[in-house]
Amino acid sequence: MQLQDKRRIAILSAYALALHGFESLLPAPIPWLKLGLANIITLVALILYGFRTALVVTLIRVVLASIFIGAFLGPAFILSAGGGIASVAAMGLTIKLFKNLFGAVGISLIGALFHNMAQLSLAYFLFIHRLEAVLIISPFILLIGSLTGIVNGIISGILIKNLLKKDAEKIQNTI
Amino acid sequence: MKETIKNTTMADRLLFLFLILASIAGIFISRDALSQGSDVSIEIDGKPAYTLPLYTDRLLSIDGPYGPILIEIQGKRVRVKESHCPNQLCVREGWISKGVIVCLPNKLVIIVGSGKKDRQRGIDAITG
Amino acid sequence: MGHYKLFLSLLLFLCLLIGSCSPHQPSSYKKSKALLDTFVTITVTADSQDTADIAIENSFDVIERFGNLVNFFSDESELSAINRNAGIRAVRVSPETLDVMEKALFVSEKSGGAFDPTIGPEIKLWDFLNKTKPSDAEIKKNLPLVNYKNIIIDRGKSTVFLKKKNMLLDLGGIAKGYAADLAVQALKQKGISAGLVAVAGDIKAFGLKPDKKPWVVGIKNPRQKSNDDELIARIQLSGKAISTSGDYERYFIMDGRRFHHLLTPQTGYPASACRSVSVISDEGAIADGFSTALFILGPEKGLELAKKMGMDAMIINDKGAIHTTPGLEGKLTIERNH
Repeated sequence: MQLQDKRRIAILSAYALALHGFESLLPAPIPWLKLGLANIITLVALILYGFRTALVVTLIRVVLASIFIGAFLGPAFILSAGGGIASVAAMGLTIKLFKNLFGAVGISLIGALFHNMAQLSLAYFLFIHRLEAVLIISPFILLIGSLTGIVNGIISGILIKNLLKKDAEKIQNTI
Repeated sequence: MKETIKNTTMADRLLFLFLILASIAGIFISRDALSQGSDVSIEIDGKPAYTLPLYTDRLLSIDGPYGPILIEIQGKRVRVKESHCPNQLCVREGWISKGVIVCLPNKLVIIVGSGKKDRQRGIDAITG
Repeated sequence: MGHYKLFLSLLLFLCLLIGSCSPHQPSSYKKSKALLDTFVTITVTADSQDTADIAIENSFDVIERFGNLVNFFSDESELSAINRNAGIRAVRVSPETLDVMEKALFVSEKSGGAFDPTIGPEIKLWDFLNKTKPSDAEIKKNLPLVNYKNIIIDRGKSTVFLKKKNMLLDLGGIAKGYAADLAVQALKQKGISAGLVAVAGDIKAFGLKPDKKPWVVGIKNPRQKSNDDELIARIQLSGKAISTSGDYERYFIMDGRRFHHLLTPQTGYPASACRSVSVISDEGAIADGFSTALFILGPEKGLELAKKMGMDAMIINDKGAIHTTPGLEGKLTIERNH
């Protein structure tokens, strides 16, 4: 791993952590409404710097956030980690398999979908064991996840565009 | 706005449409499966712990991993009045008269359902 | 062009999703009918409503025909003919009646007379509806008439004979379980591969439900706190029959004592060591007969007999404690609030 990669991971993780922390401070107007803002950073990392960077950033964010909040290795941590890993894996795979079919919004939607599906199945197998209860809340969570997923996707798209523009300008300036 | 739409691919739009339709359909299907209830069942760690009538007002205190959880039944509705879990989702869910309140940190599920149907759910026949 | 392909594949996926929910796969069909002085419910797993209907109606007919043979209250029944001719002559009966009689004698012998189909003269004395308890003298007077050893069956001639005059056969403790056996046999003959027959509380299940899971039978709580059927346990059942005998079915309470219909053949009085006994066996008739036998014997001797016979049983004693045979582990779920 190059120094540049490490620095990049550190900066991205810091952003992700900040967003994660910021989100946990926000009052949720509707129960189960989670914006998943940190997913923006994951998505940017994935598209600009590749799967490995995105995965490492996610893992750092999940572990550190749970230590800060005090839920390390607790149920909330397991759900958060499971959701994070599933969503990075799904998004990475989507990019690899369907190269240019989906834009940032589509990939974000897939990430949100797998994030929620992983969390729901983990919750079912580990904590709730009550299929009925999980099935009843699932569609709500998936619906809200799709809505927040699209918002995050749009923000990610704008971020990526600006970052690329900046890079291009930088290169032009150096010339 | 126009530009953001332009920046999405056709696949993005179709995927979004599909997800929205599927989850809305899911909401209706699951609502159909759940009938107006008269019983409150409380499950802890996946096991049924209490079944209480919805039409008797009472305050119930259950021991959870974060301390006592206060469950209130009043006016044919139920809510989690107080819980010391970190995310407080169950408390914010407020009053429900049918459906489910789930509190993951406490491993607690509160289900309001037609008592008879609920208890006999999955029962094919009765002996005795 | 790529868009159309994508659109089509998404559409196909949607169709598959909806298609998997529509009832092309085998599903459950259920029908109920009043038969044998009780309520019979048959559930089958079948590909179509028609197949299910034909099979279920056929089984209802089979149960009805059998019911007519062993109806205690009808003068036309073979059972009444046997009772009328007690001490007089042997009566020729149809194969089903002979078969259920042999099963009854088998249970009587194996249980040392705890189950006895000749309990009729004692049962007749009690009126559970009007809360009438017979006198000790009346009960004692009829006791010599109760003895299964005085039933003579001739398999070759297909006849049944009661040795003593005024003996009365009562097949109430075995007929419903046997009817479930007959109904299941008839369903299988009609090509049904999975189903559940419930003749009141005498239940026989075979095959698996459409979701590939065993059938689940709830066992009633013998002391109901409310009006709707409260369960004390639930059990998974496939290829087996279950029957329950309880002191709460026909009873009255007088001077703080509970008098119910499960009489000890040797005394003529209700047995009081259990509240309810459920027996699981391959055959409905056997489960039905032994649930009565085990109830009369009480928890200790009852469980011993069940183990000896290789059957599973759940016994709730007079204090409400639950006893089970080891074979029920993993199949039985006790409801949490008990």
